[in-house]
Amino acid sequence: MQDLSPATLLVLVPLLPLVGAIFTVLLGRVLGGRAHLPAMAGIAGAAAVAILLLAATARDVSPAHGPRAEPIRPVEMIATLWNWASFDDAYAPPPGSPAAAVRSVADAAAQGRTAGDVRGFSIPVALRLDPLTATMLTIITCVGLLVAIYSTGYMHGDPGYPRFFALVAMFVFSMSMLVAASNFLLVYVFWEAVGACSYLLIGFWFTKPEAARAAKKAFLVNRVGDFGLAIAVFLLWMTYGTLDFHDTISPQGVIMPGILGQTRLADAAGYAGGAVGTAICLLLLLAACGKSAQLPLHVWLPDAMEGPTPASALIHAATMVTAGIYLVARCAPLFAACPGALTAVSIVGATTALVAALIGTVQNDLKRVLAYSTISQLGYMFASLGTGTLLGFTAAIFHLLTHACFKALLFLGAGSVMHSMGGVIDMRRFGGLRRVMPVTAATFLVGALALAGVAPFAGFFSKDEILAALHAKGWPSAHDSHHAVVAAAEGPLRLAAFATDTGARDAVGLDALDRPETWRLLFWMSLATAGLTAFYTFRAVFMTFTGPTRVPSGAHGHGEHGHESYESPAPMTLPLIVLAVASAAVGWLLFATNWLSHFLSATPSLTAPAVASTAVPHAFHLDLAIQGTLAAAIGIVVAAIGHLGRRSDGPQMERFLGPLQTLFANKFYFDQIYAALVVRPLEALALVAALVDRHVIDGAVDAIARIPVAAGGIIRRSQSGLMQRYALAGVMGVLTIVVLLAWQLRG
Amino acid sequence: MTPALDPLLPGGILAGGVLAAAASLWLLLPNGPDRVGTRRLGMLLGLLALGAFIVTGRRLGGFGEEAVFLIVSLVAVVAAAATIVSRSPVYAAIWFALSLCGVAGVLLVLGAQFLGVATIIVYAGAILVMFLFVLMLAQPAGLAPYDRVSNEPFLSALAGAVLLGVLSLSIGRLSAAPSACCGLPSRAQATADAAAAAAPPVAAAVDPLAENHVARLGGELFGRHLVAVEAAGVLLLVALIGAIAVVARGEGAHASMGDDAGRAVR
Amino acid sequence: MNSPQSLAMLQNALTVGAILFSLGLVGILTRRNLIVMFLAAEMMLQGISVSLVAWSRHHGDWGGHVLVIFVLTVAACEAAVALVFVLQAFSRTGRLDAAAWQSLREATVGRTVDRGLPAADAAPPPFPTLTQAGVLPAPNEDEPLQREHV
Repeated sequence: MQDLSPATLLVLVPLLPLVGAIFTVLLGRVLGGRAHLPAMAGIAGAAAVAILLLAATARDVSPAHGPRAEPIRPVEMIATLWNWASFDDAYAPPPGSPAAAVRSVADAAAQGRTAGDVRGFSIPVALRLDPLTATMLTIITCVGLLVAIYSTGYMHGDPGYPRFFALVAMFVFSMSMLVAASNFLLVYVFWEAVGACSYLLIGFWFTKPEAARAAKKAFLVNRVGDFGLAIAVFLLWMTYGTLDFHDTISPQGVIMPGILGQTRLADAAGYAGGAVGTAICLLLLLAACGKSAQLPLHVWLPDAMEGPTPASALIHAATMVTAGIYLVARCAPLFAACPGALTAVSIVGATTALVAALIGTVQNDLKRVLAYSTISQLGYMFASLGTGTLLGFTAAIFHLLTHACFKALLFLGAGSVMHSMGGVIDMRRFGGLRRVMPVTAATFLVGALALAGVAPFAGFFSKDEILAALHAKGWPSAHDSHHAVVAAAEGPLRLAAFATDTGARDAVGLDALDRPETWRLLFWMSLATAGLTAFYTFRAVFMTFTGPTRVPSGAHGHGEHGHESYESPAPMTLPLIVLAVASAAVGWLLFATNWLSHFLSATPSLTAPAVASTAVPHAFHLDLAIQGTLAAAIGIVVAAIGHLGRRSDGPQMERFLGPLQTLFANKFYFDQIYAALVVRPLEALALVAALVDRHVIDGAVDAIARIPVAAGGIIRRSQSGLMQRYALAGVMGVLTIVVLLAWQLRG
Repeated sequence: MTPALDPLLPGGILAGGVLAAAASLWLLLPNGPDRVGTRRLGMLLGLLALGAFIVTGRRLGGFGEEAVFLIVSLVAVVAAAATIVSRSPVYAAIWFALSLCGVAGVLLVLGAQFLGVATIIVYAGAILVMFLFVLMLAQPAGLAPYDRVSNEPFLSALAGAVLLGVLSLSIGRLSAAPSACCGLPSRAQATADAAAAAAPPVAAAVDPLAENHVARLGGELFGRHLVAVEAAGVLLLVALIGAIAVVARGEGAHASMGDDAGRAVR
Repeated sequence: MNSPQSLAMLQNALTVGAILFSLGLVGILTRRNLIVMFLAAEMMLQGISVSLVAWSRHHGDWGGHVLVIFVLTVAACEAAVALVFVLQAFSRTGRLDAAAWQSLREATVGRTVDRGLPAADAAPPPFPTLTQAGVLPAPNEDEPLQREHV
């Protein structure tokens, strides 16, 4: 038996849930109420392996000792399963094209041949294990396991019980492969796969028209993003000649530098900037916007709440929507070569955060509030990614991790409320539930505090790091002392190299946005969003759990009359407790030890000089913490004034907003704009096509069909029933033959 | 007059005659009220057609033969034409009888002694009388409306003209020379070759023109064609029985419809 | 037998036969009285007989004669059976009109009726008539029992 290297174990993480899904599909009907067992076993196995891999990768990361004496060494382990497709001589780059120009430094020195000479096309099914992948895998599998445990209680008695678990296992498989794949084409394949799983889960109760419509909408809007990803993959192939992340060796013995391979990362001129590079980055941003529900492709996520709440918790809070974050973080070197694209990422993220927060303040549906909150928090992560610094990238992943914890907690809590209230989730129809659902209320409060960014809960630390990253870009002078230390420590790879490298290439108009003024605006927007986040979160908490206790008529209660408890069963409350503990502890733990940032900085993508050179020492920025906490406090206080202790169906605070209330409630009319710009023209086009099909094409065919009928109608008139006319016709025919015969036979 | 006339002229005259015959038929056929002028024009054209045929006919040896043949054939043809243009079916039957006499004459001229007489006996004596009986039973008094109109006279006359034209032209091209057309040697040609080769005369036993015509015809019939004769006899019997059967059943059915017939009376 | 005279006789006789045949053909196609149609059919047979006998004379054998005898026989049978059918047809429709039988026409084609029929050539005889009692039923051409007169 070969040694179980971490790369081999990596295969197990997607494989076990896949096997579980297959077994659920095959045996689901037989297992009935126990149909969750194969899927849960698969996900649990995958979670165990993921934690093992996390430990194994962490062992490989060189420890951090004081000021770094050497640049951090990237950690990656490749497992190639098989070769999916392979063509030799697939493409010959025209001389002078970027593809021909970009070559491997190491290889040119060694053999004098360039990578531009070799143009085979091969797609190896390879998985790569590095810190970023290990982190994402842990999040996916652990949250997946908790959601699976929760679903045994939530989906109990649903006729589609086996189908749900099969889909959850399929989703865990697809998402694991997405974050582990080491090839852009594989990423695309599993990008689509998670989109498909999302469609199937949103439309789980497909007999409900709203659910079917929401599933369609999610899929179609995601399609727009997928289109961007496809074009980006084409451009990547044309620019870099390969789609692999890691370096490969071609049959000719030439090292093919992968797009995110160590050879290219070490090359100062390894990444294309200018128009092509910016195009690639913007297309990747489009794909990320589609999957992570950023402006303007955010319209699908609130409607996706039609799906079962555990699915919403898993997919639309913790994992699938983070695929966009993962993609941008993975392609950090690509983005680093195009500062304009980075700025665009941040602008999109911060704007989305603010707009979503504004819309979320007037929502009355608890799940909708959480959906807009997800959009807003994802916007935070994009804003952080767009800073382009190592702090920004690691802060985004940190926030991703904490967001997975508390957002999943909040969604599962909302699911618990919805389950007990008999499917009612409109906050105006119930209130004061803390007295009848104590566990749910307590855990929900923990999650809300984490979301609002109150110390020492998880969200506080990750949000603080994001604000720090934005602040560093907006006020660079304040951080110069840090950079001076770094510049002195680095060798040839200096901050200046980053600055001049971008200047050497063609500057795109977008680069003009990369000015401190832009970053200051984004900082203030993020701060305002923090305040709004706290406001709407605690508005939801107060409306749901405080005030007079009101329960809608269809609620499921149990216990003696007078002491009725609406608390959810154990399978549902246990994950809530686990996640509440995580939300409370994870942030403080990771921040205090700085373990995550150090761990993630060993990701090959983040060891690119353009990114790694921006490393700053770990510090707790007290001024930013105070600003953040102040914003949160203002939000909570305003929410308390409006809603603490009051009936949830009483007059709302929103009447103070006036006309803005309508604007927010209509989601800034995005859906209406899309309907007018996209849906109606397409429907008109479809109508025209239908008319052409029915009248022109079918009409032509019918006209052809009418010809024999018409001809028959004319000929039919000769059938008069008069036998002498028939005889005459016969005689004329015979005479024709006779005449012809005589003519032929004449001498 | 030699048979080698100007090659084109007989054809032209013949074609003209045929067309004139067609036109005369068209005019003479019953087609509405009987107009005297139309009838006269039709008869004139018919005469023209007959003249054309006579002119292009072949010359037989001797005046007597020619005269006899001409007379009997004229009788046959004119009476036949009169049959089909007569408005009254009784007149048509009488004209048909005359035509039969003419045909019998032609047959006798051709040397078919038995057949000439048989035609008179069977056709004119039996079949025609049967027709007259039916007319007696079924013909309404006065001319029925359907006797006064014809069905597509123009096209029918045209069809007849085409047929007659083709036949006449083909007949005109008959010659003794072997295989001038279509490479099918006729027995006459073969006999001619045999005659040319061995020159024996036609056996007197089979020549219809030799003496003891009827006896030898009888011998031929009951010799070589005995089975066919017997079959013909059976056919006659079957026809007789069939006719009786149909009439008997028809009358039974008709009698049973007697009650229903009352309501259809006008 | 192949002298020019023989050939001339043949050709003349064949011409006569052709004329008789064509006249018979025109008669069948044109006349509407069933009896006259059969007369024309018999005339076609006469023309055939003349042609056959002429060929037999030309070839110098009995073939044509024999065939004509059988033609004669068959004509007699045919006439007998056919006239029975004519009488059947008359008993159903009351007239000897070939155009009385049109019910096998196409469903969308209307019945062909004589238009502008000429007036009777002879006035009907002045038989004494009774006044009509009652209303005449409406004539229905397709009714098989409908007759013009009893």
